[in-house]
Amino acid sequence: MGIKVVPRHGKSFKEKIYLPAIFGGLKVTFKHFFTNLKDTSNIKTIQYPEVMPKDITPRYRGIHRLTKREDGSIRCVACFMCATACPADCIFIEATERLDGIDEKMPKRFDIDLLECVFCGGCVEACPCDAIRMDTGIFAFVQDERKKFVINKEQLLANEAMKEEEK
Amino acid sequence: MATITVDGKEIQAKENALLIEELLANDINIPHFCYHPALGKDGNCRMCMVEIEGKKRPQIACDTPVKNGMVIRTKSENIERVKRSILELELINHPIDCPICDQAGECSLQNYYMDVGLYESRLQTPKTHAKKHVDIGANVVLDQERCVLCTRCVRFTKNITKTNELGVLNRSDHSVITTFPNHPLSNPYAMNVVDLCPVGALTSKDFRFNKRVWFLEPDNGICNGCARGCNIFVDHHQAKYEEDIIFRYRPRFNALVNGYFICDYGRLSYKKENESLSSKPLIRGKESEYEYSMMKILRLLKHHYGNTSFVISASLSLEQMYALKKMAYRYDANLYAYNENYDENFGDDFLKVNDKETNRKSIKLLGINESKEDLYEGIKKSELLVFIGRCDILLEEEKTVVCISPYPPSEREVDVYLPILSHTHVSGTYINCEGIVQFHTSKIKNSGDIKSLLELISFYTEINHSTCKEIWEEGLGELMGEITLGKLKLESIKLGFA
Repeated sequence: MGIKVVPRHGKSFKEKIYLPAIFGGLKVTFKHFFTNLKDTSNIKTIQYPEVMPKDITPRYRGIHRLTKREDGSIRCVACFMCATACPADCIFIEATERLDGIDEKMPKRFDIDLLECVFCGGCVEACPCDAIRMDTGIFAFVQDERKKFVINKEQLLANEAMKEEEK
Repeated sequence: MATITVDGKEIQAKENALLIEELLANDINIPHFCYHPALGKDGNCRMCMVEIEGKKRPQIACDTPVKNGMVIRTKSENIERVKRSILELELINHPIDCPICDQAGECSLQNYYMDVGLYESRLQTPKTHAKKHVDIGANVVLDQERCVLCTRCVRFTKNITKTNELGVLNRSDHSVITTFPNHPLSNPYAMNVVDLCPVGALTSKDFRFNKRVWFLEPDNGICNGCARGCNIFVDHHQAKYEEDIIFRYRPRFNALVNGYFICDYGRLSYKKENESLSSKPLIRGKESEYEYSMMKILRLLKHHYGNTSFVISASLSLEQMYALKKMAYRYDANLYAYNENYDENFGDDFLKVNDKETNRKSIKLLGINESKEDLYEGIKKSELLVFIGRCDILLEEEKTVVCISPYPPSEREVDVYLPILSHTHVSGTYINCEGIVQFHTSKIKNSGDIKSLLELISFYTEINHSTCKEIWEEGLGELMGEITLGKLKLESIKLGFA
């Protein structure tokens, strides 16, 4: 291995006293400070949670939802593809016979443990029926108990897709 | 013997045997629906096409006898094209509802389609629909749309059970499998059609939607429904945060014992195996700690030393019986195995036998007392009775009664009841009614505090023999002569002297 000789900077007097560089940096800071003081509309920072972010893209992976058929019933047929694909093993399904004539099989229980979920989107990719999606745009979820983070079929069905204007 | 060349490789085959049999025996993958070793050829599915040199067109391997010097190709562009076309025909009216189909994961149609399927459909006309859910009886549900009309099920009821419940109705696209009006499928072997069906047309009502098959781990087991000791696959799975439970039994091929089939009674007997996991130790009917009950039995054994009778079930494994013999010797106890567990209405001329005890031959082999008079005589004299694997002998006098069994005694209250692991949860050797020695291992995880009988005996006798291997090394091996545990792990052996 050869040795690369790197020239050492900061040997001149101007560089040694630091102050010109510090004022150079502060110049940028003060420029933004005074511009934003006059006009607040261009500030990138938002006052979360009073103001919610508006730039969540359609591909953002939020909390899951179970989609519905045209008639409003559950689309999922409990094929276990998502549970099989899940690297965190956080999807718990129990299948049952569907007796309303729309299909043969449906989940009796469909739970996702959000604390175990790694939000990889594997379940969405694996689903052959487009029954699970992560397009809710919900990125924050707060609970006061661990077991409340396990969301069930009803909660997943109640989650809606992100609204068009929010996108 | 004939020499045939398959894909450039020479193999030895039986002259005039069916070509497909010889190819499958040599691990050459030949797709097939209608051929089944137990049902023979039918030649209706045309899936097993191979090219034979000298023949103009591809031939079906299931109806071609082996001739010396045959040159066969199973992999060529032409054969792939033929298979793809046949699959295309099979799939014209197939609903392709794999997500809701229980067979997905062990479906021949699905596998062949993944190998050589035509992935883009050329179909413009709508599919012909049929009934999706027909309960044809005997726990079997028929989906007529998924059927490929291989007629395995029809031939099973015709040739094996000879009950002729199933048949093919209508012609061409409208052909469906069906039962005769008011004559549902009803024979004691009916659920075998579920295993025979290469696709998801026949599914078991009992297993339906319970578990996707790719989660299941098959364990080699032996059924303990009767003295036949049919070989089975014990399909079990431990889901996250749950116990390892059994989902179904499937027949496992053994030419010496059961062939390809098992009876429905045996198939559904897995349920009590799962129930046994929730058994709790009882002291005079009150739930107790496992360790405490174990110690209680030890105190009783020591207290009644020399005045004890062991009454054991004939369904225990050979290793368990051998260890119990040692334990009886250690506590100077009498050992009885008399029972009359015969069901005159159970047996038939196929697999089921009247004797409901799995391992009666082992009792004879170990020379355990089977006499009825001796048992009642012995019970009268002793103070403590220990029932193992059973609790059926009712007493006239008051005695201290201990029951060690996977299932709590239902008819009576005992002084101490201690649960043990049931037969699919432990390894063991069984000798069936025809003297065939079979060994099965168990890989089912035990997450509770229930111990196996061998572990308990090790604890009570203070001799460390908690595994089958240790029992065989300790003396059982000498008794069995040429039969060794190593040999039994590979195959079942006919006993020469029983």
